[in-house]
Amino acid sequence: MSSLEVKGLSKAFGGVKAIDDFSFEVDGHDIVGIIGPNGAGKTTVFNLLTGVYSLDAGRVFLDGKELTGLPQHAITRAGIARTFQNIRLFRGLNVLENVMTAADPYSDYNLLDVCFFTPRKRRREHAVRDLSRSYLKIVGLEGYEKEKPESLPYGLQRKLELARALATNPKVLLLDEPAAGLNPSEVRAFIDLVRTIHGRFQFSIIIIEHRLEVVMELSSKIFVLNFGKLLASGTPAEIVCHKAVTEAYLGQEET
Amino acid sequence: MEYLVSTLTFTGITLIGVLGVYMVTGLTGLFSFGQAAFLAIGAYISAVLYKNLGFPLPLAAFVAMVVGLAAGLLVGLPTVRLRRDYISLVTFGFGEAIIAVLNNTANITGGAMGLSGVPQRTSFPLVLVSVIVCVAVVISYKNSKYGRQCLALRNDELAAKSMGINVERLKLVTFLIAGVMTSFAGVLYVFYTTYVEPGAFGWVISAEWMIIVFVGGVNSLTGAVVATVLLTGLPEFLRFASEWRIAIYCIVVLLILNFRPSGIFGEHEISLGFLRRLFRKGAGAA
Amino acid sequence: MTLQLLINGISLGSVYALIAVGFALIFNILKFSNFSHGGLMSVTAYIGYVASVFFGRYIKALPLFVVTLVAAALGGGLLAMVVERVAFRRLRNSNSSVIYYFISSITMGILMENSVTIFASSNFYSYPSFFPTTVIRFGALSVAIPDLLTFLFSGLSLVILLVVLFRTKIGLAIRSTSFDTGTAKLMGMDPNRVVAATFFASGVLGGVAGVFLGINYTLYPQLGQLIVKGFVASVIGGLGSISGALIGAVLLGIVEIFLIGLVGAGWSPVVIFVIMLVFLLLRPRGISGVIVQEKA
Repeated sequence: MSSLEVKGLSKAFGGVKAIDDFSFEVDGHDIVGIIGPNGAGKTTVFNLLTGVYSLDAGRVFLDGKELTGLPQHAITRAGIARTFQNIRLFRGLNVLENVMTAADPYSDYNLLDVCFFTPRKRRREHAVRDLSRSYLKIVGLEGYEKEKPESLPYGLQRKLELARALATNPKVLLLDEPAAGLNPSEVRAFIDLVRTIHGRFQFSIIIIEHRLEVVMELSSKIFVLNFGKLLASGTPAEIVCHKAVTEAYLGQEET
Repeated sequence: MEYLVSTLTFTGITLIGVLGVYMVTGLTGLFSFGQAAFLAIGAYISAVLYKNLGFPLPLAAFVAMVVGLAAGLLVGLPTVRLRRDYISLVTFGFGEAIIAVLNNTANITGGAMGLSGVPQRTSFPLVLVSVIVCVAVVISYKNSKYGRQCLALRNDELAAKSMGINVERLKLVTFLIAGVMTSFAGVLYVFYTTYVEPGAFGWVISAEWMIIVFVGGVNSLTGAVVATVLLTGLPEFLRFASEWRIAIYCIVVLLILNFRPSGIFGEHEISLGFLRRLFRKGAGAA
Repeated sequence: MTLQLLINGISLGSVYALIAVGFALIFNILKFSNFSHGGLMSVTAYIGYVASVFFGRYIKALPLFVVTLVAAALGGGLLAMVVERVAFRRLRNSNSSVIYYFISSITMGILMENSVTIFASSNFYSYPSFFPTTVIRFGALSVAIPDLLTFLFSGLSLVILLVVLFRTKIGLAIRSTSFDTGTAKLMGMDPNRVVAATFFASGVLGGVAGVFLGINYTLYPQLGQLIVKGFVASVIGGLGSISGALIGAVLLGIVEIFLIGLVGAGWSPVVIFVIMLVFLLLRPRGISGVIVQEKA
C-alpha cells in the first residue's frame, strides 16, 4: 500500500503555463485516471513526476519520502515507473533483454564478478532472466523472448512496455495513453490485463487516456485537466455529469 | 615469418585499443576522440618510469594504468553528464592537451623528438595472452547487466533513465575500463616499438579505431575483432600504395556506409552455438 | 599593451567565428556535429592558394586578395554540397542514427585532408603577400593588415549570412527546417534543397576561414585541425546557437592571445582544454543558454 502525494505542481515553458498549481493524491491500491483535452498537460504531469522535466514549483512525496528534484533513475528506483505515449523500446536488445534492463539495477553483483566470471554473476544473471520471463508471461508475451521489439505488432509492443515497467518493481505505475492505437477488442483485452495486474501486485496505477471507456471502467477516481489546471475531480459517475467537463470537451451548449 | 609475427603483434595491440572503443562507442554510444590519449599515457608513463627511474617493468605498467584511470576520471567525471556532442569535443580537447603536454615536457619525454631507447620487452605470446584476456572480459561485460544497460542507454537515454539505470555512472565506468585497457595497450606498444613520439597519438588514431568498430558492425564484438585484423593487416599489404592507403581506406568506409551501413557482421556474434551448428553441418555433409 | 592584445584577440576570434558559425549552421539544421568541416577548410585553403597563383599573374594586392577569397568561398560552398551529397544524403533519407553521420563526417574529413596531403606531398606552399605594408598604426596601437582584413571580411561574411538567413526566402526555409523538418516539408519546402543550401553556406564560411587560416598559419595539410577551436567556441557559446558560437569564438580568440602571452603557444591547447572543462562544469549550456530539451 503506498501513497503518492503531489502538491502544487507547476511548470511553464517560455511564457506558456503547461501545468498550473496541480495537486492530487493517490492512495494505496487505487487506480486513478487523468483526462483532459489535447494539450491540457497530462503527459507533462507524468514528465514532472518522473523527473524528466524539472519542477518550477510543487513537491512530490511517495510514502512520505520526498522525491522532488531527484534524478530520473532515483525516482524510478524509489518506486515510480512509467510507460511512454510514443513507445520507447530499446531496439538493440531483444524482447527479453528489454525487460531485463529494467530488472538489472536491482541485480546484485559487481565488476569484479564480471572480470572473473564468478558463479555469483552466473546465478544473478539466471535470476534476472527468470524474473523477466515471468513478467513476459504475465502480460502474455511468452514465446516472443528472442524477437526484436520493432518487429512486434503494435499491440504487443505496448504489452512489452508494460512488462518492462513492471520489472522495475514499482509502487506507483504511470500509464501514458496505453490504449492508443488499439482496436476495440484489444482495448477490451487491455482493460482485463490491467485489472489482472492490479489485482496481483500491490501498487497503485495512474492512467492518462483519451479512450474514456478505459478510464471510466478502471478508475475509482478521475482528475480532469484543462489548460494545465485542475478542472474537476471525482468518481467516474460524477465526472460524466460535470458541466464544466463536458464543456471543455464538447464546447458550450447553445441555447 | 618474422614479418608476419610482427604484424600480428601490432594487430593485437591495436585490437586492445579497438576493444576499448567497442565498449565506449559500440556498446555505450559515446564518441570519444581521446582514446589514443590513453595509449599515449600508458606508453609514456611506463617508458619514463622504467628508463629514467629504474622501476621494474610490471610496476611501471601498473602505475601507467593507474594514471590512465586517474586521467579517465578527470575527463570523465565532468563529461558524462553532458550531451553526446560535448563528449566528443571534450575528449578531442583532452587528446590534444595530452599531446601538447608531451610536446612541452621535452626534458622528460623528449618532446616532439620523441622518446627512444626503450628496450623491447613485448613479445607476441604476451600480446596474445593479453588479447585473449581482454576479449574475455569484454564478452563477460557485454553479457551482463552492464552491457545490457549500456546498450539501453545508447539506444534511448531517456527511457533508460526511466528504467532506473544510472546513466552517468554507467558511462563513467565504461569509459574508465576502456581507458585502463587502452593504457595497458600503450605499455605493450612502447615496449614493442621502442620509440614513441607525441604525433603518433592524435585524434586520427581514435577515429580510425572507431571506423574499425563501425566497419565490423557497431553492435558486434566479433565484427570488431575481424575488422581489426582485416584493416590493420590490409594496409601492411598495401604498403606499396602508401600514399593512397588512407584515401582507399576512407573510400571503402564510405562505400560500406552507403551500401551496408550495418557493417560486415551487423548485429551478429559468433557464439559457441553458431560454431556448433556449423560443425554439425560440415559433419553431416561428410 | 593589453589593448593591443585585445585587438589581436578580436582578430583571431573573428577567424574562429567563421569556423564556429560554419560548424554551428550544420549543427542547427541537421543536429549533428560535422567533423568534416576541418578537412574542408584544409582543401579550400589550397584552392585559395591555387587561385592566388593563377590570378597573381594579372592582378595584385587587394583585388587579388578578394579574388582569392571568392575562389575559396565558392570552392568551399560547392565542395560542401558535394560532401553532403556523397556522405550524408543517403543517411538522411534512410533516417539513420547519429552514429553513422558521425563516422561519415570523420571519414570524409580524413579523406579531404589526405587528398591535400597527396596533392601537396612534401612541398611547402604559402600565400603570396598581398599587401606592401603589413601594419597600420593608430597612435600607440598597431594593427597588422592581415588581422584587420580578417576582422573586416569575417564580419562581412557573417553579416551577409545573417542577411540571407533573415531576409531571404531560402534563409527562412533554412530556419524553419531547423525547427521542424516535418512541418517544413509539409509547407512545401524541399528538404534536399534546404540542406544543400545550408551546406553551401557552411562551405562558403569554411572557405573564407580556410584562406585566413592559410595566411595566419601558412599552408599545411593539417590546417583544418584548427577546427577544434571552432568546436571549443561552439561549446562555450552553447551548441545549438549561432550567435553563441560567434560570441564564444571572439572570447576564445581574446583568451587565447592573453594566454599565449602568459604561458607560451605550446601550452595553450592544455589551458584551452582546462578552460573548456571548467566552463562546462559551471555552465554546461554555454553562454547562450540554449538547451534542447528532450520530450517524453
